[in-house]
Amino acid sequence: MARSVWKGPFVELQLLKKAEEAQDKGARAPIKTWSRRSTILPQFVGLTFNVYNGQKFIPVSVNEDMVGHKLGEFSPTRNFPGHAGDKKGKR
Amino acid sequence: MAEDKPVTLAAITGAHGVTGEVRLKLFGEGLEALSTHRQFNDGALTLKKLRDDGKGGAIARFAEVPDRTAAEKLRGTALAVPRSALPALGEGEYYHADLLGLAAVTETGEPLGSVIAVENYGASDVLEIERPDGKRFMVPMHTEAVPEWNDERLVVSAAFAEG
Repeated sequence: MARSVWKGPFVELQLLKKAEEAQDKGARAPIKTWSRRSTILPQFVGLTFNVYNGQKFIPVSVNEDMVGHKLGEFSPTRNFPGHAGDKKGKR
Repeated sequence: MAEDKPVTLAAITGAHGVTGEVRLKLFGEGLEALSTHRQFNDGALTLKKLRDDGKGGAIARFAEVPDRTAAEKLRGTALAVPRSALPALGEGEYYHADLLGLAAVTETGEPLGSVIAVENYGASDVLEIERPDGKRFMVPMHTEAVPEWNDERLVVSAAFAEG
């Protein structure tokens, strides 16, 4: 069953506080969190979170397309290693 | 960095049929990128035909493989091409293979370790860096975290180097 709309999206209050502080100060250092269940809010856009996956912290740079998802979705707990091959990246 | 460093694009997972075709597991950008290459492993294998297997892999035929027996012997063989055979990059683009093994340093030149993996979990590319003591940390591949890199070193911002 979906979460009731009147409650709003769930986010750990401490994490929200840290994110708002970082946005106010313009700090871009990653915010370390264990809260994989927190929803990504619009005010998180542009920040980087180090999200724990049970073993290590995975950096998650938040962009607009990620709003509404949970932080844990971008920090998988299982990994299938392979070759880099001719995979390309862009920034 | 050596321009002719071999880059593994696929691996042979077994024989397919009785006429010498093999099944491939793809590692790179996919079937189209692989089909642009004809010679693999320094010319040891010459690609004649390549098609999709409908399951995320590919079926290939090599000139040097006439029958199933020969195809079965190739199981586990990695198909590599020299780095110089890969297509040229656009502005701001990079090959994951180019970043692997690069020395990571801070903005002040302090050594941090070396890049051992490049992953993408849906947010952005993430570099995994191993320190000399064996500990590892991850850094997002964006301008604030990695201001610059070249063929010899990769500069990591101090705020992101703490892991």
